[in-house]
Amino acid sequence: MLNHQTAQSVIDHGISLGADFAELFVERSQTNTISTLSNQVQSVESGIDFGIGLRLVYGTKVLYGYTNKPEGDELKRILSELAAKDLRDPGVSAFNFDYRQITDLHPAVRTLTNDSEVESKVAYLLAADVAARAASNMISQTRGSCRQKEQHVELFNSEGLHTGDTRNYIRTSLTSIASDGSEQATGSWNDGGLMGWELEHDISAEKTGTEATRQALVNLGAKPCPSGRMPVVIGNGFGGVIFHEACGHLLETTSVAKKASVFHDQMGQMIANTAVSAVDDGTMTKQWGSINIDDEGLDTQRTQLIKDGKLTSFLVDKIGAEQTGFERTGSGRRESYKYAPASRMRNTFIEPGDANLDEMISSIDKGIYASHMGGGSVQPGTGEFNFAVTEGYFVEDGKVKYPVKAATLISTGPAVLKEISMVGNDFSLACGMCGSVSGAVPTSVGQATLKVDDILVGGNA
Amino acid sequence: MTISDQANQVIDLVKAAGASGDLIIDQGESVSLKARDGELEEYKVSSSQIFGLRVIKDGKVGTAHSEAADSDALSSLVEQALTNASFTAIEVHENILANEASLKTDDSVLCPVENVSIDEKVNFALQMESDLAARDRVKNVPYNGVQDNTNQRHIFSSAGLSAYSKSRMCAAYAYALVEQGDKNAMEGIGQASRLFADLNANDIVDRAYTQTIDILDGSPVPSGHYDVIFDEEVQASLFGVFTLMFSGKSAKDGVNPMREKLGESIADTRLNITDKPLSVDGFGYQLFDAEGTATQSTPLIVDGTLNTLIHNSATASFFDMKTTGHAARGPKSTLGVGLHQLEIAAGSSSQADLFSGKYLMLTDLTGMHSGANAISGDFSFGASGFLCEDGQRLQPVRGITVAGNFYDMLNKIALIGDKQFWNWEKSALMPHIRFADMAVSG
Repeated sequence: MLNHQTAQSVIDHGISLGADFAELFVERSQTNTISTLSNQVQSVESGIDFGIGLRLVYGTKVLYGYTNKPEGDELKRILSELAAKDLRDPGVSAFNFDYRQITDLHPAVRTLTNDSEVESKVAYLLAADVAARAASNMISQTRGSCRQKEQHVELFNSEGLHTGDTRNYIRTSLTSIASDGSEQATGSWNDGGLMGWELEHDISAEKTGTEATRQALVNLGAKPCPSGRMPVVIGNGFGGVIFHEACGHLLETTSVAKKASVFHDQMGQMIANTAVSAVDDGTMTKQWGSINIDDEGLDTQRTQLIKDGKLTSFLVDKIGAEQTGFERTGSGRRESYKYAPASRMRNTFIEPGDANLDEMISSIDKGIYASHMGGGSVQPGTGEFNFAVTEGYFVEDGKVKYPVKAATLISTGPAVLKEISMVGNDFSLACGMCGSVSGAVPTSVGQATLKVDDILVGGNA
Repeated sequence: MTISDQANQVIDLVKAAGASGDLIIDQGESVSLKARDGELEEYKVSSSQIFGLRVIKDGKVGTAHSEAADSDALSSLVEQALTNASFTAIEVHENILANEASLKTDDSVLCPVENVSIDEKVNFALQMESDLAARDRVKNVPYNGVQDNTNQRHIFSSAGLSAYSKSRMCAAYAYALVEQGDKNAMEGIGQASRLFADLNANDIVDRAYTQTIDILDGSPVPSGHYDVIFDEEVQASLFGVFTLMFSGKSAKDGVNPMREKLGESIADTRLNITDKPLSVDGFGYQLFDAEGTATQSTPLIVDGTLNTLIHNSATASFFDMKTTGHAARGPKSTLGVGLHQLEIAAGSSSQADLFSGKYLMLTDLTGMHSGANAISGDFSFGASGFLCEDGQRLQPVRGITVAGNFYDMLNKIALIGDKQFWNWEKSALMPHIRFADMAVSG
């Protein structure tokens, strides 16, 4: 996407300004988004994003710029402007680019370059709408979407690296809105992966529609949620957002290096219940959060974060490695050329255990079964996090009693990790978008159903 | 090619295809600085440009965008938008407005010239970070920054519209991480201004430090129902979460719970909410909306009664009305609606009355993007702040949740203060409102 000689001259220019490291991140992304409203196509949007991110590193200081203009003079002008306050004696460029061909672990078939396949995607979304409405006559509306993205990235740096990758992302979703005349409630279902529209063969419009409607109906009949400290059983799949928020963000060197994570000095120590082992794995085939190489050009890897309760690794990018001394983990990620890379999660999950749902529910006198979770957020410095329950049930005397609505779970990372006492065997992963300093990146969260012995539930009862 | 040349190329191609259309061109330039341990940690400069085209052909609407701006890319942009339109259903209500206006914002007001060097900005960032880090018990200042952003928007249409706006926003923020024994807390504040010279590092340091120290010893209050007052930052965010209630587009789509309540009482009779896009003190200032319609002050809730929803020309046509000048569209999005600058009128309660008796003053809500359902109005957020009595703080409060239904809350207003406050981003102007009987878990 960027001429080899232009890249060389720009990198040379960066080193001539005295930088310790210079990098170009070239991106061209094609997107196509289809939205449906009930049984009609509401919109089709497509486009091309193109730009170049330029990074100079002086020690651990990062200078970053970006532009849509790929001309060498413009790129050098930006580097000169960035480095104006940091000029040092010119370094010597002693490298030649040697293109490193990556191994594509996630080859896509039905890509946007081949065909956007709008008709096929529309047919899927409209079939999901039919299924959603067939499941109940209380569904007043559905909203569907299918978004596909093909991201080409190319990296050049002053260590001689020249490599590139193509990432194909696809995601579908349907939201059902149920109404009983006085109240409205929503339910949703989504699928996605690091692949093309061949996802179609792995998913079911029938399941998408009926699950979205089932959840909307549960929420329509839900009662206000009891509040206070109590045990909570958190469902599998997207329930893993608890670990993502409670712990994952605190293990990114973006926070660790600044000592803005409560875990920054806990390496090798017991930070969780012995029932907890956790992994961040960028290598899982065609998973939503997977990558071949990270956005600094390093092969991604499987990183064991916690083993039997003990902290075993952080998530480390290039700058994080220089700041903390830990080895890079192929975790440098960014939303686009507009962001400098930062250490970020990929597919993050708690490994399965051997408990089952019935055991967990029957162990509760009074508590909540949060079968489906929504999003959340965390303040890394203090570890305080929150996340929303999108489908929950009140549990009493070891039995599920009735659905509850509008519940939030809050705690701190260190506290909740020690309260996870049972982990089930029904492991699954789910797609999400994670927002942080380097923008919104695709991540998967996952876990088997697990039990937290004590957490604050915020309800309205 | 100039911007006009590029726009002409696109619009001419649209017309030649027998379609109508409008083109948004957004351009931006920014400088962003972050400091750490007395050194500059990040220095980011950027220039960006993006074209977003909407076409309407045979009653069908298609959109496309491009960050590339060469002649071939712009031709491809038109082709893509036309192709996308061919897949959509006929939308009789969406048309390119017959608007030949030529509109331009006043640079002297929105983008004043200022002679400020990069050194001054760097020194500001370094001073702010090091001064805050030097305060007692501050472990570090993990999040801080100084930004200077200038954004321009052009809109051209096949009907002859030519609209241009340019605005500048300088901002600075800092968050202190404070530790004492096994307790810690992190809080921060920001400032925004059109002139860099108006930013005050000392003020940011003082307020960020005070806010963090004050909350350090926080603990939960017993679960129960409390009167709650949100500070100006939190209250603006809270109302922002539920702006769907004013959306004509959501009403058209059947998901706005207020769609059948025009002219009905939906809130306490003392509540008056107006969208004021022409107030230049705020950063929500808009001379025109995304269709080039000149904006105006729009009363939304008058004495507790829902006066109007906000509309673009398409949603207005659906309801057989005129646009209210609230069209919203980014280069990558389809036509929607959006508020510009929310203002809640001051009430009659003195600060003494407002802060009488026992209440919770909440200074932070967490999970606002995930813990709320704008359709049902239900919410549950993590919260922190202070338990107060007669204007005096009794204890800092952390580790609680506040839950309820926003639309019910509008009828549970105990008092509305007689002074208005901007939030720091200057996107909303509101008095403090005291809400009665809110469910708190501790």
